[in-house]
Amino acid sequence: MKPSPTRPVVALVRTDETKEGLRRAVREALQLVGFTPPEMVHTVAIKPNLCYYWQSTTGCTTDARVVAALIEWLREQMGSVDIKVVESDASAMRTRHSYGMLGYRKLADEYGIDLVNLSEDETTEVSVEVNGLQLQFAVPKTLQTADLVVNVPKLKLARATSITVGLKNNFGCIATSRKLPYHKHLDEAIVGISKIIRPQITIVDGTYALGRATVRLGLLLAGKDVVAVDSVASRVMGVSPRLVRSIRLAEAEGLGASRNIEVRGENIENFRRLFPVRRNNIFYRRVWDFQLRMLEAYCRFTGDILPPIIQEVSA
Amino acid sequence: MVRVGFIGLGRMGRLHLMTTRKTEGAEVVAAADTAQSCRRFAKQHNVPKVYSDYRQMLEKEKELDAVVVTVPNFLHLECVKAALESGHHVFVEKPLARNLSESTELARLSTMSGRFCMVGHCFRFVEAMEEMRKAVDSGVIGSLEAVTLEEVMNGPLAHGVIPMPVPEWWFDKDRVGGGVILDLGYHMIDLFRFFAGEANLVSCAMDYRLSLSVEDKATLVLKSLDGNVTGTIHVGWYQRTIFPDFNFRAIVHGTAKWLTSDDFTPRNLYLHAAKQVSKNMLRRMLGLKIEYLKYTYYLASYVKEIRHFYESIVMDQAPCVTAEDGVNVMRIIDHAYKMNSSSEILAAHRTVG
Repeated sequence: MKPSPTRPVVALVRTDETKEGLRRAVREALQLVGFTPPEMVHTVAIKPNLCYYWQSTTGCTTDARVVAALIEWLREQMGSVDIKVVESDASAMRTRHSYGMLGYRKLADEYGIDLVNLSEDETTEVSVEVNGLQLQFAVPKTLQTADLVVNVPKLKLARATSITVGLKNNFGCIATSRKLPYHKHLDEAIVGISKIIRPQITIVDGTYALGRATVRLGLLLAGKDVVAVDSVASRVMGVSPRLVRSIRLAEAEGLGASRNIEVRGENIENFRRLFPVRRNNIFYRRVWDFQLRMLEAYCRFTGDILPPIIQEVSA
Repeated sequence: MVRVGFIGLGRMGRLHLMTTRKTEGAEVVAAADTAQSCRRFAKQHNVPKVYSDYRQMLEKEKELDAVVVTVPNFLHLECVKAALESGHHVFVEKPLARNLSESTELARLSTMSGRFCMVGHCFRFVEAMEEMRKAVDSGVIGSLEAVTLEEVMNGPLAHGVIPMPVPEWWFDKDRVGGGVILDLGYHMIDLFRFFAGEANLVSCAMDYRLSLSVEDKATLVLKSLDGNVTGTIHVGWYQRTIFPDFNFRAIVHGTAKWLTSDDFTPRNLYLHAAKQVSKNMLRRMLGLKIEYLKYTYYLASYVKEIRHFYESIVMDQAPCVTAEDGVNVMRIIDHAYKMNSSSEILAAHRTVG
């Protein structure tokens, strides 16, 4: 394991959803972690999590207002830099629709920024090895040429990866729209793309978060070390970072540290208490598969109909 | 024997095809779809003739009695028109068509051709709705005074268990014809008519929360033509729903009592499924007929609906839902859109934060 040169810092800041509140929270969080933009920045790429057409208040996608507060801070610090919000298509989501539906088109009009669909961007094929596995990614040029990449994920739990925060949000930097083939080695793919695209700062939108249910958490997390941010975020959500495979893998690959983190600002416990922790659902997929197999057997035996919506799942 | 052809084999077409194959007195003769995967599905389900062009099917399959049309909204007019003109009875998924003028034309064609054109108003066939209607008719709630109907979910934007992109036509106002009022509101307006008879629109507020070209949130107030029953309908596409979530509710208020669909719907759908599966297995072992799709609760309404259509043809009696019903629902929807035409302008001015 490659040692981290310094003790990573993660900031927790309480916020409301007003424009002024978010502006203050972003400024405070970045100050607490001591982030200053590098010199000679011409282009900035901001990567929110726009995984589907669900509003940010569901706890699933990054709030455009958090990105707006970040843009204001960047402009304060660096003047008129070229700012792009970036996202790629997913198996079910089309970026051209989610930008409009989740408020990013209006954000672009208001702040004069560009919206980039990474799936339509120029790409280069990059190979990377993770945990002895060779992976290949179509990496968008916009991200490779940006002087500053800011990761703005959402705070949420996910069945496939335990948590979906900074590392998982990098998965959306892969230009390929059909990412399902990567799901076979999802954690390796997450860490693999994180080795290629390394955002200098991660700001987690925890205004609304998703656990067993949606919760208005009123939290922003920030840190320069994405592994440390994910570790603190997982503790906020009541999940031990040791149980999150992507964190373990990322640490082993030298992407950051999950221990000995200095937490500044609010106490983790203040938010963990509010977070609707999900019960252990290690067997969820197996139970679901078992139910489907039983249903198929039932339909074969009785001649009942297996509706197309369920057939698609069992296919 | 009713000989049936299918135009469109998407999710709904497939369901109707599978149901038809399990229906005594109905026979699947042919199917048409432009998509290869859909034609493959038809072949896998032993459909004798499979076409890529529905016009060819209508031209060649002279023996057809009925055609089931399950295609995107913008194709309803041409497909239903062609089927009626070919002399077939038609079952078309809701909405009857994209707008009032198209719907009126189809109703006129149905009358002129002397062929039935049944529209898929499936909510009328949901067991809970049938039981509520029986209770209302029995007088247990006194005289019916008000109906409240709600259906809020992701609609066409719902995320499937297997992730698939939403078909592009849903994002195109011209092709889809309308938003949540035409999609979910259509059913709710029909349910109001189911309980209270024909109605007029009193007011409508709609919103564009998702900045689509069509409305995604709407509240409508209706009043029955006899003036005795008022209704409130709320529909939305804005809520995150994951299969098998289903956020639908109906409440009827009378002078003596009130009833809600929750009282007639299984509290736990998994438990309901287990019960129905056990019953059907027992029936099968005893050599009795099984009840199709009853374990899914809501989908059982599609079995009843399509079988009612085939029975209507055999009995030569008009089905309980005709193109005229489709037109009456579309009239209210058309009124709602006209009433809110200025809202679209306002929607353009919404800003972030």
